[in-house]
Amino acid sequence: MLLTANNLSFAYATKPALRDVSITLDAGQIVALLGPNGSGKSTLIKCLLGDLSPTGSIVWENTPLVAWPRRNLAKHVAYLPQTPSADPQSRVIDVLRLGRAAHWGAFGIESAQDATVIAEVTALLGLNDLLSRPLDTLSGGQRQRVFVGRCLAQEPRALLLDEPSTHLDLKHQVELLQLLKRLAAERQLGVLMASHDLNLAAAFADELVLLMEGSIATKGPADAVLQPETLEKVFGLPMERLHLDSGRPGVFPRL
Amino acid sequence: MKPFTADQLLKSILIATGIWAVVAVACMMVGSTGRIEWPKDDVFEFRRDSILITSLIGAALASSGCVYQAILRNPLADPYLLGVSAGASLAAYVWRLTSFAGLLAILGAMSQQAFAFLGAMAAVGIVFALATRRGRIEPITLLLVGVIVNAVCGSLYLLLIQFNKSPAGSGSEMAFLVGGLQTSLLPEQKWAAVTVVSVGWVILLYFAGWLNAAALSDDEARSLGVGIHLLRWISLIIASLMTASAVAISGPIGFVGLVAPHMARLLVGVDQRKLLPLSTAFGAILLCVADSAGRFLAHRSLAGQWLPVGVLTGLMGGPFFLLLLWQTRRRE
Repeated sequence: MLLTANNLSFAYATKPALRDVSITLDAGQIVALLGPNGSGKSTLIKCLLGDLSPTGSIVWENTPLVAWPRRNLAKHVAYLPQTPSADPQSRVIDVLRLGRAAHWGAFGIESAQDATVIAEVTALLGLNDLLSRPLDTLSGGQRQRVFVGRCLAQEPRALLLDEPSTHLDLKHQVELLQLLKRLAAERQLGVLMASHDLNLAAAFADELVLLMEGSIATKGPADAVLQPETLEKVFGLPMERLHLDSGRPGVFPRL
Repeated sequence: MKPFTADQLLKSILIATGIWAVVAVACMMVGSTGRIEWPKDDVFEFRRDSILITSLIGAALASSGCVYQAILRNPLADPYLLGVSAGASLAAYVWRLTSFAGLLAILGAMSQQAFAFLGAMAAVGIVFALATRRGRIEPITLLLVGVIVNAVCGSLYLLLIQFNKSPAGSGSEMAFLVGGLQTSLLPEQKWAAVTVVSVGWVILLYFAGWLNAAALSDDEARSLGVGIHLLRWISLIIASLMTASAVAISGPIGFVGLVAPHMARLLVGVDQRKLLPLSTAFGAILLCVADSAGRFLAHRSLAGQWLPVGVLTGLMGGPFFLLLLWQTRRRE
């Protein structure tokens, strides 16, 4: 098991944000975190990265999170925030290079391995023609690919994404999820992503985790989780469920 | 993609040093005699020292400017923004007030430079203390507090001059406000500055690659394996130490720390590993040239006397700063 987190609870000042959340992530598995704004998706991801310190236990690859040196963890777990950042004047290659920061030697000296990995990531994401372009000349979709590239340059075993498709159009959203699916299948990458899109998550994730006010309302395969009654309770909206031609369930607010 | 190897690092340091050496030798030939020629024995040593010291100060200001700009995420940041120069000027002036020095015997035992250094560090300390929350440095607050501490120190300085009833502009207290090289430096003072600047520089270069992550949000930097809070503290303290030791022997020399990193960025991009060595060389070159220009203009009696180097860098750097600001705004 890549990740085992048990009984996580966390409060900002006095406001509880996570209550007794347990979650696991396996190699090659895609897990989607769903739930309304403020339900604890981002808080959970920050706890798993060690940015926040909840009560409970977090174990990455059989080692408790607190025992991981930051630099080693960066070689195993990568993180893509909702709005990734970089020096606005940097070129694509600068951003990708920074993904190797945990692997550099003293004085930031790079190894041949660093160059190989970046070449590989560049090819995988089709960034070859963009390498020397300044970041601020790219489209939203290209930008997103560069930041996914920075994560992959870390050669992680797990990738945590916080609403990665928020700023993307439908085509780019689907392409990103297809890429994650491929990486999960081909490289056994474990993917944990917070998402607002129930139907896309259902189409790509192996497991859905539905959060409500910091607790897990329900989790499991899409078919079991996406029940109108549960969703109504969580989102506070009347919902209806359709059976799509593809056989997947589709859920929509009843308007 | 070629990896950034140790060879490449050494090469860029050698090239940077080479460019500086060429300019420094050229500057040796410029003097207040008005003739462009290799200096005679009687002025050789004086001119050499002057060039080496200006280079050291330029290098210190430019490398700390480079680091400040990265950490504060602001391309317009200058090492003086954090109150370093104002603190140093104020302390240096207080040292001159013999009545005050008499009150505290310890002040009398310290040199003006050491006192200026302490003043600079005190100002930075106040800025840091006010701009941190739970041990974390907040770049925007830091800039604001720095500007205010700078202004307050500057006002106190003028207030002291007023009380002391010495005519402004005639005494050497003004020299410390506009930035002029101190000519009466003891060898120990020079070596202290050389040591602080070079040790600090090597440490900054060691961290330069990871300093690139300072442009990112804190949680991203951490997820890349960079302990960004500690890194910010270490580099800000080192850059401030370097600036303070430069200011202590020169007074505030503006804009070098701003202009040199920008010139370097145009050539090598944003990667601190390449940016730091080149910025350092450009800083040394700029100040060297400004100092030589001051000597030369003195001969032409355009200035009547040697121009403090800070006046020239201010005259050249001010418009440059406005140009940068204008460009930044146009891009937005």
